[in-house]
Amino acid sequence: MARWTPERWRKLRVKSGFSIYYVFFLMFIYGPMFAMFILSFQGRRGGTSFPMRGFSLYWWEKLLEPSTVGDMQGAMGRSIILALMVMVITGLFATMLAMAFRKKFWFSNVLFYTILTGLMVPGVLLSLGMAILMRQLGIPAAWYTSGLAVHVIWALPFSYLVMMAVFNRFDSRLEEAARDMGASEWTVFKEITLPLITPGVVAAGLFGFTLSYDEFARTTLLSGADNTLPLDINASMTQRIRPTLFALGTASTIFSLLMISVFLGIYTILYRRSR
Amino acid sequence: MTVKKGNASVRGASVKMSRRKFMGTAASVAAAGTITGFPNIVQAADPLRTIGLGVSIINEIQGKAAKDLGFKIRGQALGYGALFGKTLNQNDQYDVSECYYDMFDVMIPSGVFQAIDTHRIKDWDKISDLTKTGMLTPGSSIGQGDAPVRQIWVDKDGKRAKGPSRYISGLPGWHNADSLGYNPDDTGRPIESWAELFHSDFKGRVALLNIPQVGAMDAAMGMEALGLIKFGDKGDMTRKEIDVLIDFLIVKKKEGHFRAFWETFGQSVNLMVSGEVALQSMWSPAVTAVNAEGVPCIYASPKEGMRGWHGAITISKKATGKRLDQAYEYLNWWISGWAGAFVARQGYYMSTPANTKKHLPADEWDFWYEGKPAAKELPDPFGSPLINKGQVRDGGSYEQRFKKIAVWNSVMTENDYLVKRWTEFLTAN
Amino acid sequence: MSDASKTHHTGLIGSQPKPVDGLQRAKIAHTEEGFPTAWLITPATIWLILFLVIPLISIIIFSFWENTPGGLIPAFSFEFYGEYFYTEGFFDPDADRFLLPSVFIRTLGSTIYFTLVTMFLCLIVGYPIAYFLAMQVQAFKWQLALFLLCMVPFWTSYLIRAVAWLPMLGRRGLINQALLGMGIVDKPVSFLFYSEFGYTMALVQIYVVLGIGPIFFSLAKIDKAILEAALDMGATPFQIFREIIGPMSLPGVAIGMIFIFVVIMGEFATAVVVYGGKTSTAGTVILNYYGIANYPFAAVNALMLMLAMVIGIVVILRIVDIRKEL
Repeated sequence: MARWTPERWRKLRVKSGFSIYYVFFLMFIYGPMFAMFILSFQGRRGGTSFPMRGFSLYWWEKLLEPSTVGDMQGAMGRSIILALMVMVITGLFATMLAMAFRKKFWFSNVLFYTILTGLMVPGVLLSLGMAILMRQLGIPAAWYTSGLAVHVIWALPFSYLVMMAVFNRFDSRLEEAARDMGASEWTVFKEITLPLITPGVVAAGLFGFTLSYDEFARTTLLSGADNTLPLDINASMTQRIRPTLFALGTASTIFSLLMISVFLGIYTILYRRSR
Repeated sequence: MTVKKGNASVRGASVKMSRRKFMGTAASVAAAGTITGFPNIVQAADPLRTIGLGVSIINEIQGKAAKDLGFKIRGQALGYGALFGKTLNQNDQYDVSECYYDMFDVMIPSGVFQAIDTHRIKDWDKISDLTKTGMLTPGSSIGQGDAPVRQIWVDKDGKRAKGPSRYISGLPGWHNADSLGYNPDDTGRPIESWAELFHSDFKGRVALLNIPQVGAMDAAMGMEALGLIKFGDKGDMTRKEIDVLIDFLIVKKKEGHFRAFWETFGQSVNLMVSGEVALQSMWSPAVTAVNAEGVPCIYASPKEGMRGWHGAITISKKATGKRLDQAYEYLNWWISGWAGAFVARQGYYMSTPANTKKHLPADEWDFWYEGKPAAKELPDPFGSPLINKGQVRDGGSYEQRFKKIAVWNSVMTENDYLVKRWTEFLTAN
Repeated sequence: MSDASKTHHTGLIGSQPKPVDGLQRAKIAHTEEGFPTAWLITPATIWLILFLVIPLISIIIFSFWENTPGGLIPAFSFEFYGEYFYTEGFFDPDADRFLLPSVFIRTLGSTIYFTLVTMFLCLIVGYPIAYFLAMQVQAFKWQLALFLLCMVPFWTSYLIRAVAWLPMLGRRGLINQALLGMGIVDKPVSFLFYSEFGYTMALVQIYVVLGIGPIFFSLAKIDKAILEAALDMGATPFQIFREIIGPMSLPGVAIGMIFIFVVIMGEFATAVVVYGGKTSTAGTVILNYYGIANYPFAAVNALMLMLAMVIGIVVILRIVDIRKEL
């Protein structure tokens, strides 16, 4: 076992310094969520700002009941399904594009900037442009068709750039060696490339999920007859805002934390097995 | 070699595809159980589609309508911007749009609605004169701006008509008059004039509505009350008037007079409850909501009059046949009384007061419409207690309020210019 | 390969054998290998053309239309471009608007100003976090977990978080209560919220994670053995940063800054919620004209905003060519 050399002490000091900074950072970015947690236990006659008027689980119970305006549970289900679809499609597209960009091809520059344009087009106008075109063609809007289409446009540049970072300095000698041994392109991809980039693909997909789940402007005219969650929440703000919203926010935070733990657990098990 | 490679890839792709397809199917099966609207094609009888703000699209309302009428109704609640955009650009995506007369300067020329035949509106006679002649009671003032009476009459094709006609652009619905809301503990005195909006006593504790065309009117009311300018028509200002108004607002903003500019109902409630502002332009039900959260708040009835707005239920030009019949049934249902009583408990008035009265217990009618003290604790539309015994509705009775509407929400001729100058106001520091 | 994966932990981009040397050669030699490019780009390209390029072209066409009380009329008019750039009295030395740029240009200018300030703050605040995750946390599992922890606020709808800012930062908010409770102030402070300070803080708070991700990826790929070697050879931490870590993280910094730049340039909601609408962004202007159905002018504003974004991205890519780094 190592002795406590000065070098080790120094490293420990640096590490704990960074750890403390990380904790402060977390407190900073979770900022408004603390108020949200507390106010989700607001008393029955209280609202979404301080003072607290008693303490109750009333708003948590309300979370399970149908909402007065809109359909929060349904909207949330739709938003999650939409985000999952966006996750899969952007993950796939971003990987394919980033692989293509490992080589030069004749309009790679144009394609590169076109992908980035998806980041830049203001959402309301993309939504408007699409809505008017679809109307001309007589295609009805729906969150799982037109909504999906523009969400992918929005999320793709993020996932794509993440994948570019993943393939950055990616070593192709392994693939080369496999090809020399007579493996087909598909085998090379499946056996060598994919395992190496999987974490990156997951990260790219995660970006897609996150961006789609929270997207409002691009969905306004393209979600059709059913609202996604951000549209639903936006509509509910034309009425009194109730602490139910905070209960929902707190619940989704807890759910996210649980998912991360589950994910970690699965990862640990798989990692052990692969050893 | 290349061909072989190609084949391999294709084979790989097809395997992947079928797996994805399977997952897609699984997802949609799961969705069908819990989430409405995913498998659009499977719907047996397509419901009547209606869109509107959270003010009128409330599950209880459309649910009750569906029960009474015997067909499915799917309401979609939207925010203001989304409602405006969808109504204007996608009239194939709704059958009924529950919108507002102040949008009609844009909507009528664009031809997205069809003219509503008053002969098919059963209770047409029971609709008050507020929208028909502009005067709720004889001798009331019509008010400046887009008063409903200036927007309602159209011909058979939905084009504007001069004076009363058999056809209307939208069926009169819920409406209200807005003014200022204030916390009496913070202001220290009753607020009786729009001029108080700019009083230096409240510096840094004032908020204004940040929808340019409406916020400008509130500010104009204040400026006029201060005697700084006399507007020809606050609902249709000239460029010169807009310049004077915005220049004044910029000076005030640079002084640090405004705490914030709000955009939604909920925001205005929170500003007041959290003590950020003492005085702000506000909607009547928002004041009620502040009170319900235990914070004192009074809805001012300024001597200059209030700013009115009026909801209108419209039918899309694309609705035909059975859909159209259902839309008419739905419109008739809206003004038949039950819905009027429902929105009354939120503080809104209905175009058919007589029908509303039939569905509202006497003590509730006295409180909401007559301006009398509550005889007992009164509920909100969902049955939770809202009004304490003895409380009086600020602003007086329905008649008092609507006798003296100073100006109606409007889209001005110079709206583009207004938005441009408003942007300048917001950017000024 | 198995040797390589034993010596390294499985990094976020997977384990890799010692890189760099011979890489360029390998790349050039194998341009003929791999899946056919056409096959890889076709689906995404079709998607982009249908749902981005075509709507974008229609936005451009819109920007030349005329807006009349009767609705939009197809035309080829530069009226709205003129409106965007020209202010009455610009050339009149006696007017108080003499040589004052139009309100739209000024709004775009203040948007760029806030964006640059926020980008800078995000970099300062975020880089150490990325560095901590990549360099100080050993196991990949924990790297990922701690990174995801930073993402969690994103999974609560923005609109919900927006409502929670007031009870956090307002006059009766948690921070003021804490300050009062600790006796640091004797009456609530109001500069936290509806202020430039609060606005900038909120932007950093929301978007810093977008920068952390890419920087973390590029740092995670640095071979720690190189760093150990440099230390053994007596390099100071500062030298190591300047010579190895800094340059190698540049592509990540560039990508992160592009994310933050573009998203904050297009931002409109936070100005309303946290700054109380007391400023206007280029995004607000677009939304306002969209809201009154003046689509041509909204389109002109959008195109000018995009132009500013393209210039910004080109500048960033000039400094760090992420594609060349590939």
